[in-house]
Amino acid sequence: MNNIFLLLPLYLLSFLNISRATKKLTATNTGTVKISFVNTVKGKPLELNTGSYTNPFGETYSVSKFKYYISRVSLVTGKAVFFEPGTYHLVDESKPDDLHFSFELKAGEYQWLYFMLGVDSLHNVSGAQTGALDPLNDMFWTWNTGYVMAKLEGKSPQSKLVNNKLEFHIGGFMGENNVLKNITLNFPPGKILNIQEGKTSEIIIGADIDTWWQQPNDIKITEHAVCSTPGALAKKIADNYSKMFSIKEVVNN
Amino acid sequence: MLCLGTTLSALFIGAADNKPVAFADGKLPNYLEFKIPAGWPKPTSNIFAKNKLSEQGFQLGKKLFYDSRLSKDGNISCANCHQQFAAFATYDHDFSHGLDDQHTTRNAPALFNLAWMTKYHWDGGINHIEVQPLSPITSPTEMGETLENVLGKLKGDTTYTKLFKAAFGTEEINSQRMLKALAQFTGSIVSANSKYDKVLRGEAKFTYAEENGYNLFKAKCASCHKEPLFTDNSFRNNGLEINTLLNDHGRMKITNDPKDSLKFKVPSLRNVAVSLPYMHDGRFQSLGQVIEHYRNGIITSQPTLDPQLANKLAITNAQKYELIYFLNTLTDTSMTKNPRFAK
Repeated sequence: MNNIFLLLPLYLLSFLNISRATKKLTATNTGTVKISFVNTVKGKPLELNTGSYTNPFGETYSVSKFKYYISRVSLVTGKAVFFEPGTYHLVDESKPDDLHFSFELKAGEYQWLYFMLGVDSLHNVSGAQTGALDPLNDMFWTWNTGYVMAKLEGKSPQSKLVNNKLEFHIGGFMGENNVLKNITLNFPPGKILNIQEGKTSEIIIGADIDTWWQQPNDIKITEHAVCSTPGALAKKIADNYSKMFSIKEVVNN
Repeated sequence: MLCLGTTLSALFIGAADNKPVAFADGKLPNYLEFKIPAGWPKPTSNIFAKNKLSEQGFQLGKKLFYDSRLSKDGNISCANCHQQFAAFATYDHDFSHGLDDQHTTRNAPALFNLAWMTKYHWDGGINHIEVQPLSPITSPTEMGETLENVLGKLKGDTTYTKLFKAAFGTEEINSQRMLKALAQFTGSIVSANSKYDKVLRGEAKFTYAEENGYNLFKAKCASCHKEPLFTDNSFRNNGLEINTLLNDHGRMKITNDPKDSLKFKVPSLRNVAVSLPYMHDGRFQSLGQVIEHYRNGIITSQPTLDPQLANKLAITNAQKYELIYFLNTLTDTSMTKNPRFAK
């Protein structure tokens, strides 16, 4: 939270800086940042379907689907904020091409990475969308309009559902059960992002499923094997998973 | 935090919206003006702001609306449950028939004046006209199809590639374009030319009974069924006994708020005489039964009952029939029989 408050004045300043940053984007002083996601469980790479995992309550589970929306990606350099030109990313463990994205930005050093986990409320109420937000991506509720911001599906012997299903479809963009999460990540000490002209530097972000079960809210599969509507349970799970990200590595070139 | 959110929202408006369409050969569609009937409020949803209404978009939407290939078995189109002669409701059916003759769990609502709504469905679960068709298309008891399959079928039909090009500039068929075209058709269905409207415009006169019915309507019904749309689009509990086989709590399903238990959307009374049966579960077959409910049937012990119905409605037998005469003046055959909306 502290980090976000520190950033507040910077975001306001960004109103002035963005247009300037955009104008300066010419072939002579830009580089590329690649942002990659590595989904893990307790630090080890997630293995869809085959991996067997144990949550903090000793309940075992496997994962068949793991995907989430990333938007409003921005990087902070000095007093300016560089926003990725408005777009949405659906990070999907089953699609290697959807585990990373890149965009051009001004060469220089960047100290912070910011993004939103989810789809902003405006785009939950604005009708048919396309690209990552296409309802074809199976992240859209048809009976109670809105996006599933994060989805975790699998099986667990502790699940009381038919076929031991585990099904977390986490969404809700309004009121007290809003699950949209602003994520601010610091680069590791001594490792700021350095974008050099014409080159690509990479930020590797880890997303660990082990965070979904605990802190601040205990989510036991015996009690909650399914969450498929916006509401208090979705909010609790989202409060947990808002801590799932960390920067694993910054590769400067 | 509020400040941060506002700043970011401002920057992101329109980010994922339809890009301006390039009509490569310079053949722009014939754009249409969406006409607001005289004396009506401005539409509450600006449904054509980011979905510019055109003749080609409307015609594509109409073809999709009447195309049963949108369903899994190829038998059920939107129009199966939304019949024009019934003001685009399902005539004389409490529940509609979907895939494999399964029943839906609510009465199909009539479709007209949709631009004056901000929420769709009996429980208001749908917040934009464009995304509504996703619900019946994918519902296992309605059209039972996947969006992917629907798009596959459309892409395999050269008639559609031409129509998409005419409406949107290129042959690309995607879910957004399909949904926007459907919204152009359904959003264009406006009902504002009933006898009631003609009376208000000085083109016709109520009979004595209709006039009395109108006066009673204004006194007893108009606070929820507000003119000129004949709904205030709110969600209310009108004191129906719950059907324990369905256990449908209405709006609460969407909001999770016990205060919304048993609340359903107030339907428009326009075309009410042709869109029977009535209520969210189609339990009443006639307007007489509906009025009987408001006179005697209201369950006053329900905690979420609309306060205006706490003492039921005092309506005499004579007034009941006059009210029915008036409600019949809300039928708009220039809409229900308009060839422009027909297959």
